[in-house]
Amino acid sequence: MNILIVEDEEQLAGEMAGYLHKENFLCEIASTGNEASEKIAVNRYDFILLDLGLPDYEGLDLLKEALHSDYQPGIIIITARGALEDKIKGLDLGADDYLAKPFSLAELLSRIFAVARRKFNTHSDAINAGEFLVNIQSRKILHKTKEVELTRKEFDLLTYLLLNKNKTLTRIQLYEHIWGNMLDDQYDSNFIDVHMKNLRRKLSVHASADWIKTIRGVGYQAVL
Amino acid sequence: MKLRYKLSLFNVLSKFLFGAVFVLLMPAILERINTLQTDNELINKRERVIDLIERWGVAFFMEDVENDAYGSYNILREEYISLERVELEEHWNFIEVTRRNIEDEIIDYRVLNYTFLIDGEMYLLEIGKSLSSIHKTEKNITRLMWLFLLVFVLASSVTDISFATFLIRPLERINQKLKKTSTPAQFDTALVLTSTTEFIQLDQTLSELMQKINDLFRKEKETTSNISHELLTPISVLRGKLENLMIQKDLSNESLQKTEEALKTLHRLKTMVNSLLMIARVESHQYLKEETFFADELVKEVLEELSPMAEDKNITFQSHFDLKIKFEHANRALLFNMFYNIVNNAIKYTQRKGVISLATFRQNNYSVLKISDNGPGMNEIQLQNLFTRFKNTTKHKNSGTGIGLAISKTIADFHGIQIRVKSTEGKGTEFFFHIPS
Repeated sequence: MNILIVEDEEQLAGEMAGYLHKENFLCEIASTGNEASEKIAVNRYDFILLDLGLPDYEGLDLLKEALHSDYQPGIIIITARGALEDKIKGLDLGADDYLAKPFSLAELLSRIFAVARRKFNTHSDAINAGEFLVNIQSRKILHKTKEVELTRKEFDLLTYLLLNKNKTLTRIQLYEHIWGNMLDDQYDSNFIDVHMKNLRRKLSVHASADWIKTIRGVGYQAVL
Repeated sequence: MKLRYKLSLFNVLSKFLFGAVFVLLMPAILERINTLQTDNELINKRERVIDLIERWGVAFFMEDVENDAYGSYNILREEYISLERVELEEHWNFIEVTRRNIEDEIIDYRVLNYTFLIDGEMYLLEIGKSLSSIHKTEKNITRLMWLFLLVFVLASSVTDISFATFLIRPLERINQKLKKTSTPAQFDTALVLTSTTEFIQLDQTLSELMQKINDLFRKEKETTSNISHELLTPISVLRGKLENLMIQKDLSNESLQKTEEALKTLHRLKTMVNSLLMIARVESHQYLKEETFFADELVKEVLEELSPMAEDKNITFQSHFDLKIKFEHANRALLFNMFYNIVNNAIKYTQRKGVISLATFRQNNYSVLKISDNGPGMNEIQLQNLFTRFKNTTKHKNSGTGIGLAISKTIADFHGIQIRVKSTEGKGTEFFFHIPS
């Protein structure tokens, strides 16, 4: 997939591109609004990651340009303005999702996948995880033919790990993924451990769940 | 008391007072006028009698009369005239009030005494008018005046109230405009129609004031927005770099742990910036309050969200939502955040197998939501600094900067909710949310 990253902070754009590149995305960077406007008009992208806070261009105008392009890319708005109105306006105008800075790159990846699933109907086949079969779209996890009952949060944690398989996810990344930006500076690492414990317990009733590894002092990883 | 009633009441009372003073003084005035008029009449009559005497001579009056005296009464004895010969050193000409006994009836008269000389003889002329006839008219007039005053006051109170109502109406309109205004931007700048200068000025001043506050809010909004951009972007860069570092294949576990620690610190920084921004935004009214919902439903959602954590510590929730509390003109996400913080804290500080109770009830015109735990409780100093930013006095290992409670307090203030905290060391803590209805 082709991704245009519109971000005036070049270091951040570089990190985003680096991360996504490892996931086999083709990334281009536009660090000014004018550059982005030109690229949107000339090239075709599957995705545009759009920072609304550009110094030379009104971000929402750029969003309109992207929306009116004939190739209908998936659009994820990125902003540090954090203003509620910006988010609402952006989503109202037709953006697919919204990420507030500072976001996790793993979170960005999972959002891209989620938008792609919704927008392009990418029928990603169910993911094999040990003896389990996880279908993200229908939100079901099967062991052989038997469905495993998970809470919404447990399922979200599991799919997040699977989407980022073989990568260590820290507790904070997991926490943010399922709680969003709840303002809690005491983010209790315990929260994630509790949910992971429950998840493992529910899975291991059916079969081994030891493909979910605890990385001591750091977080968790789905080793597949 | 409403201004128009005050105005009318003052008007009516003052009218009545002046009227009453006038009516009370009336008899004296009337008497004075009457006396003057009577005296004039008496003098008039005297002239006419003297005239007659001069024309016909005094003998004409005296000839049939013994004792050298003449007297004449009208039938009802309201008036009399008498003439007699007297021997006096001085000349009389005065008017006095005397009491006369006429045929066993005592009557007060106003009497004119006048002496004159004819042929060396002195005669005294008395002309009297009874006072009862004077007093009777006085009494009638006074009674009429009282009646008139009463009717006048009643009638004028009606007109006064309606006029005051009409006069005050623009002020009430301005008042209503203010009531409808929950943020300065909502203030209706269309001026109220009135010809009263003071009201026009008031309306204009209010409009200008609202405009000024609005501008300030907007500026503050922009500033916060800029600051957040400046602070959060570098955090983003750092975070991206660290996360990319973490996914490198050849990383030792020690480096991984150090990177994770750095990410944790960065997360704390991010939360602090976001918290401060949130407080600033709430305080400058950048959040809307347009939602209506029930407190128990919101709190149930919070409990559901936190139940895995509670279950893990074997903590039970006990809910007694006896009173249905409705939030109107509120921000659901903010209030969710507030209750989440409080319940989350309760779970964090309560020991295993503890109990967290939630209840709603009515107390002194307030709807109250209570969240209590049987955790370790707090001492006096901890209680005092509970809502102070960046002041955490607990020695709990999980404790952060304590900004969560500061946010809760700000959100409560934003909604006009009062938070009261009672705590006993070793027994537990109770949070009371007094919600205005």
